[in-house]
Amino acid sequence: MSELPKKTNAIPNKVIDLLVSDTLRKNGINLDDAKGKLSPDQKQMLKELVEELTTQVNEFVDKTTSPKKGNK
Amino acid sequence: MSQRKYCEQSENYYPMGMEHQTKHWNDDFSNDATVLQDIDQLSSVHQESDELIWIRNSCNISVQTTDTQAAVSLQVGLQLAIALVVSIAIGDSDRSHAVAQDIFQQFNDEQTNKQVIYIDNSKDVNIVTTDTDLSVNIQVLLEVLVALIIKLDVL
Repeated sequence: MSELPKKTNAIPNKVIDLLVSDTLRKNGINLDDAKGKLSPDQKQMLKELVEELTTQVNEFVDKTTSPKKGNK
Repeated sequence: MSQRKYCEQSENYYPMGMEHQTKHWNDDFSNDATVLQDIDQLSSVHQESDELIWIRNSCNISVQTTDTQAAVSLQVGLQLAIALVVSIAIGDSDRSHAVAQDIFQQFNDEQTNKQVIYIDNSKDVNIVTTDTDLSVNIQVLLEVLVALIIKLDVL
Protein backbone atom coordinates (compact mmCIF):
# COMPACT_ATOMS: atom_id res chain seq x y z
CA MET A 1 0.00 0.00 0.00
CA SER A 2 2.70 2.45 0.99
CA GLU A 3 4.58 1.64 -2.22
CA LEU A 4 1.77 2.97 -4.35
CA PRO A 5 2.17 6.37 -5.91
CA LYS A 6 0.36 9.29 -4.26
CA LYS A 7 -3.17 8.16 -3.47
CA THR A 8 -6.39 9.94 -4.31
CA ASN A 9 -9.62 9.39 -2.36
CA ALA A 10 -12.96 10.08 -3.99
CA ILE A 11 -14.86 8.01 -1.41
CA PRO A 12 -13.61 7.27 2.13
CA ASN A 13 -11.55 4.06 2.37
CA LYS A 14 -13.87 2.53 4.94
CA VAL A 15 -16.86 2.79 2.62
CA ILE A 16 -15.01 1.05 -0.20
CA ASP A 17 -13.65 -1.54 2.21
CA LEU A 18 -17.13 -2.34 3.54
CA LEU A 19 -18.56 -2.49 0.05
CA VAL A 20 -15.93 -4.96 -1.15
CA SER A 21 -16.18 -7.10 2.01
CA ASP A 22 -19.96 -7.19 1.80
CA THR A 23 -19.94 -8.13 -1.90
CA LEU A 24 -17.50 -11.00 -1.24
CA ARG A 25 -19.50 -12.19 1.76
CA LYS A 26 -22.83 -12.09 -0.11
CA ASN A 27 -21.36 -14.24 -2.85
CA GLY A 28 -19.97 -16.74 -0.38
CA ILE A 29 -16.30 -16.06 -1.14
CA ASN A 30 -13.80 -17.25 1.44
CA LEU A 31 -10.87 -14.83 1.46
CA ASP A 32 -8.41 -17.40 2.80
CA ASP A 33 -9.24 -19.74 -0.09
CA ALA A 34 -8.89 -16.88 -2.58
CA LYS A 35 -5.48 -15.89 -1.14
CA GLY A 36 -4.32 -19.48 -1.54
CA LYS A 37 -5.20 -19.47 -5.24
CA LEU A 38 -2.73 -16.66 -6.02
CA SER A 39 0.81 -17.72 -6.85
CA PRO A 40 3.72 -15.36 -5.99
CA ASP A 41 4.09 -14.62 -9.72
CA GLN A 42 0.44 -13.66 -10.02
CA LYS A 43 0.70 -11.47 -6.93
CA GLN A 44 3.68 -9.66 -8.41
CA MET A 45 1.88 -9.20 -11.72
CA LEU A 46 -1.23 -7.81 -10.03
CA LYS A 47 0.88 -5.50 -7.88
CA GLU A 48 2.58 -4.05 -10.96
CA LEU A 49 -0.77 -3.72 -12.71
CA VAL A 50 -2.27 -1.75 -9.83
CA GLU A 51 0.79 0.47 -9.51
CA GLU A 52 0.63 1.31 -13.18
CA LEU A 53 -3.10 2.06 -13.07
CA THR A 54 -2.63 4.21 -9.96
CA THR A 55 -0.02 6.28 -11.77
CA GLN A 56 -2.28 6.69 -14.79
CA VAL A 57 -5.28 7.70 -12.66
CA ASN A 58 -3.24 10.21 -10.67
CA GLU A 59 -1.87 11.74 -13.86
CA PHE A 60 -5.37 12.03 -15.31
CA VAL A 61 -6.86 13.52 -12.14
CA ASP A 62 -4.02 16.03 -11.82
CA LYS A 63 -4.47 17.03 -15.43
CA THR A 64 -8.22 17.57 -15.18
CA THR A 65 -8.41 19.23 -11.77
CA SER A 66 -5.34 21.46 -11.77
CA PRO A 67 -6.03 25.13 -12.49
CA LYS A 68 -5.71 25.95 -16.17
CA LYS A 69 -3.41 28.62 -17.47
CA GLY A 70 -4.67 31.27 -19.83
CA ASN A 71 -3.88 30.64 -23.46
CA LYS A 72 -3.37 34.09 -24.68
CA MET B 1 -5.91 18.00 -23.56
CA SER B 2 -6.31 19.71 -26.85
CA GLN B 3 -5.81 23.31 -27.75
CA ARG B 4 -7.07 24.87 -30.94
CA LYS B 5 -7.55 28.33 -32.26
CA TYR B 6 -10.12 29.29 -34.83
CA CYS B 7 -10.29 32.41 -36.87
CA GLU B 8 -12.95 32.11 -39.51
CA GLN B 9 -16.07 33.82 -40.74
CA SER B 10 -18.78 31.44 -41.77
CA GLU B 11 -22.49 30.87 -41.40
CA ASN B 12 -22.20 27.18 -40.61
CA TYR B 13 -18.81 26.55 -39.13
CA TYR B 14 -18.57 23.42 -37.01
CA PRO B 15 -15.22 23.04 -35.26
CA MET B 16 -13.75 19.69 -34.26
CA GLY B 17 -15.90 17.70 -36.70
CA MET B 18 -19.01 18.20 -34.61
CA GLU B 19 -21.42 18.46 -37.52
CA HIS B 20 -22.39 14.79 -37.10
CA GLN B 21 -23.03 15.20 -33.39
CA THR B 22 -25.51 18.01 -33.89
CA LYS B 23 -27.51 15.79 -36.19
CA HIS B 24 -27.75 13.05 -33.57
CA TRP B 25 -27.86 15.27 -30.53
CA ASN B 26 -31.31 14.16 -29.39
CA ASP B 27 -31.02 10.57 -30.55
CA ASP B 28 -31.09 7.72 -28.06
CA PHE B 29 -27.50 6.50 -28.10
CA SER B 30 -28.43 3.31 -26.25
CA ASN B 31 -29.88 1.93 -29.48
CA ASP B 32 -26.49 2.07 -31.15
CA ALA B 33 -25.18 -1.20 -29.70
CA THR B 34 -23.22 -3.22 -32.20
CA VAL B 35 -22.84 -6.29 -29.99
CA LEU B 36 -25.82 -7.94 -28.34
CA GLN B 37 -25.32 -9.40 -24.89
CA ASP B 38 -27.29 -12.09 -23.14
CA ILE B 39 -29.43 -10.74 -20.33
CA ASP B 40 -27.19 -12.24 -17.64
CA GLN B 41 -24.25 -10.27 -18.93
CA LEU B 42 -25.90 -6.90 -18.52
CA SER B 43 -24.01 -4.36 -16.50
CA SER B 44 -25.34 -1.10 -15.15
CA VAL B 45 -22.07 0.62 -16.00
CA HIS B 46 -23.14 3.04 -18.63
CA GLN B 47 -21.75 6.41 -19.41
CA GLU B 48 -22.31 9.11 -21.92
CA SER B 49 -20.07 12.09 -22.06
CA ASP B 50 -20.67 14.38 -24.98
CA GLU B 51 -19.37 17.79 -25.68
CA LEU B 52 -20.52 20.21 -28.32
CA ILE B 53 -18.70 23.45 -28.93
CA TRP B 54 -20.17 25.57 -31.67
CA ILE B 55 -18.27 28.62 -32.82
CA ARG B 56 -19.48 30.90 -35.60
CA ASN B 57 -18.72 34.37 -36.86
CA SER B 58 -15.94 34.61 -34.30
CA CYS B 59 -12.25 35.17 -34.19
CA ASN B 60 -9.35 34.17 -31.96
CA ILE B 61 -11.21 31.58 -29.91
CA SER B 62 -9.11 29.27 -27.75
CA VAL B 63 -10.59 25.89 -26.76
CA GLN B 64 -9.13 23.55 -24.17
CA THR B 65 -11.12 20.37 -23.47
CA THR B 66 -10.69 17.26 -21.35
CA ASP B 67 -9.63 14.21 -23.31
CA THR B 68 -12.77 12.18 -22.60
CA GLN B 69 -11.61 9.30 -24.72
CA ALA B 70 -8.51 8.80 -22.56
CA ALA B 71 -10.68 8.86 -19.44
CA VAL B 72 -13.08 6.27 -20.80
CA SER B 73 -10.18 4.02 -21.79
CA LEU B 74 -8.76 4.32 -18.30
CA GLN B 75 -12.14 3.48 -16.83
CA VAL B 76 -12.46 0.37 -18.97
CA GLY B 77 -8.91 -0.62 -18.00
CA LEU B 78 -9.82 -0.36 -14.31
CA GLN B 79 -12.99 -2.38 -14.77
CA LEU B 80 -11.06 -5.07 -16.58
CA ALA B 81 -8.42 -5.11 -13.85
CA ILE B 82 -11.11 -5.55 -11.16
CA ALA B 83 -12.72 -8.37 -13.15
CA LEU B 84 -9.30 -9.97 -13.66
CA VAL B 85 -8.35 -9.84 -9.98
CA VAL B 86 -11.70 -11.32 -8.97
CA SER B 87 -11.46 -14.00 -11.63
CA ILE B 88 -7.93 -15.10 -10.66
CA ALA B 89 -8.67 -15.08 -6.95
CA ILE B 90 -12.02 -16.86 -7.08
CA GLY B 91 -11.39 -19.26 -9.94
CA ASP B 92 -15.02 -20.30 -10.36
CA SER B 93 -16.17 -18.31 -13.40
CA ASP B 94 -19.84 -18.04 -12.43
CA ARG B 95 -19.10 -16.76 -8.95
CA SER B 96 -16.32 -14.41 -10.09
CA HIS B 97 -18.64 -12.98 -12.74
CA ALA B 98 -21.33 -12.41 -10.09
CA VAL B 99 -18.86 -10.69 -7.75
CA ALA B 100 -17.52 -8.39 -10.48
CA GLN B 101 -21.05 -7.45 -11.59
CA ASP B 102 -22.08 -6.80 -7.98
CA ILE B 103 -19.12 -4.48 -7.48
CA PHE B 104 -19.81 -2.47 -10.63
CA GLN B 105 -23.51 -2.22 -9.90
CA GLN B 106 -22.93 -0.85 -6.39
CA PHE B 107 -21.95 2.44 -7.91
CA ASN B 108 -24.96 2.77 -10.14
CA ASP B 109 -22.53 4.13 -12.65
CA GLU B 110 -25.11 5.52 -15.02
CA GLN B 111 -24.15 9.02 -15.93
CA THR B 112 -24.95 11.43 -18.65
CA ASN B 113 -22.83 14.44 -19.07
CA LYS B 114 -23.58 16.79 -21.91
CA GLN B 115 -22.01 20.15 -22.44
CA VAL B 116 -23.09 22.58 -25.10
CA ILE B 117 -21.13 25.76 -25.66
CA TYR B 118 -22.27 28.19 -28.31
CA ILE B 119 -20.18 31.19 -29.28
CA ASP B 120 -21.41 33.64 -31.86
CA ASN B 121 -20.05 36.94 -33.06
CA SER B 122 -17.24 37.03 -30.51
CA LYS B 123 -13.55 37.72 -30.37
CA ASP B 124 -10.78 36.67 -27.97
CA VAL B 125 -12.66 34.02 -26.02
CA ASN B 126 -10.93 31.37 -23.92
CA ILE B 127 -12.90 28.18 -23.18
CA VAL B 128 -11.77 25.53 -20.70
CA THR B 129 -13.99 22.51 -20.04
CA THR B 130 -13.54 19.69 -17.54
CA ASP B 131 -15.38 16.44 -16.94
CA THR B 132 -15.48 15.96 -13.16
CA ASP B 133 -17.81 12.96 -13.29
CA LEU B 134 -15.29 10.90 -15.18
CA SER B 135 -12.46 11.81 -12.81
CA VAL B 136 -14.45 10.78 -9.75
CA ASN B 137 -15.57 7.56 -11.39
CA ILE B 138 -12.03 6.58 -12.21
CA GLN B 139 -10.81 7.36 -8.71
CA VAL B 140 -13.54 5.22 -7.15
CA LEU B 141 -12.78 2.27 -9.42
CA LEU B 142 -9.12 2.52 -8.47
CA GLU B 143 -10.03 2.57 -4.77
CA VAL B 144 -12.08 -0.60 -5.22
CA LEU B 145 -9.23 -2.29 -7.06
CA VAL B 146 -6.74 -1.35 -4.33
CA ALA B 147 -9.15 -2.50 -1.58
CA LEU B 148 -9.56 -5.83 -3.34
CA ILE B 149 -5.89 -6.58 -3.69
CA ILE B 150 -5.15 -5.48 -0.12
CA LYS B 151 -7.71 -8.05 1.02
CA LEU B 152 -5.90 -10.63 -1.07
CA ASP B 153 -2.55 -9.75 0.55
CA VAL B 154 -1.05 -8.61 -2.75
CA LEU B 155 -0.04 -5.23 -1.34
